[in-house]
Amino acid sequence: MTVSHEDAAAALRDIERAQAYSANLADYESAAPHFLIWGVLWAVAYTLNDIFPMFGASIWAVVTPIGVIAGLLAMRGGRNGIAWRYGAAMGAVFLFLTGAVMIMWPVSGRQVAALIPLFVALAYVLKGIWSGLRYVVTGIAVATLTLVGFFLVKDHFFLWMAGVGGGSLILAGVWFRQV
Amino acid sequence: MPEPDEIIHQQTRLRIMATLCALSEGKQVEFTRLRAIIGATDGNLGAHLVTLEKAGYIAITKDFLGKKPRTRVALTRAGRKAFNRHVAFLRTILEGEAVEGEKP
Repeated sequence: MTVSHEDAAAALRDIERAQAYSANLADYESAAPHFLIWGVLWAVAYTLNDIFPMFGASIWAVVTPIGVIAGLLAMRGGRNGIAWRYGAAMGAVFLFLTGAVMIMWPVSGRQVAALIPLFVALAYVLKGIWSGLRYVVTGIAVATLTLVGFFLVKDHFFLWMAGVGGGSLILAGVWFRQV
Repeated sequence: MPEPDEIIHQQTRLRIMATLCALSEGKQVEFTRLRAIIGATDGNLGAHLVTLEKAGYIAITKDFLGKKPRTRVALTRAGRKAFNRHVAFLRTILEGEAVEGEKP
């Protein structure tokens, strides 16, 4: 079997492209369940928030741990150490947002309900800059819809977030499963 | 000096092996997903997978998901080693050595 210099170079380029594409798709595939989980939880929690605005903090105090536990379950069988990294990342996000709200206190439930999705959207965009366009598109969509709702939807902003916030995460989850 | 692997070097099989090698060890990929990634037809991909399976480079699992038949493919340990050897061979050529391997 003879392999020329050009053949070898072409084969290595082919390998590099295939591996990058495969790793990118594997990353999307592993993220998909998290988008679906949080999309459903956002839809439920924001809807409850709209119906019972006085219990916003309690609703999220229940829903957030459910999301984290479901996320950890979705990662069973994943790479070594990924579960504790996920837990640590979620803890860091929680502490950052708690600190941000404390600094800006007093804030309305509406402001908190917009700040959290905006922060999540920023995280997606930053991740996407390094590891895939789909994260960037999802982040921009969530941020744009959140801002549109915050400034233009006077009543039932929470219901808006349930529909378009939760809905866009669910759509992202479906999209991330595609090749 | 690493040896060339004629089975892996064929373009579609090279892409299949590279795609599977980028995944974590033991990770299975569904046939339909692999077909979309590689951009091959059912028959073409199936034939190349059989060749790789016969060489012991991949393991093919067939089962049912509900009533729907499902075929999944994973790289074997021997496949990963063979792929890495072939990549090392290609790199050696790029480093300037003209290599003429023996025909099997």
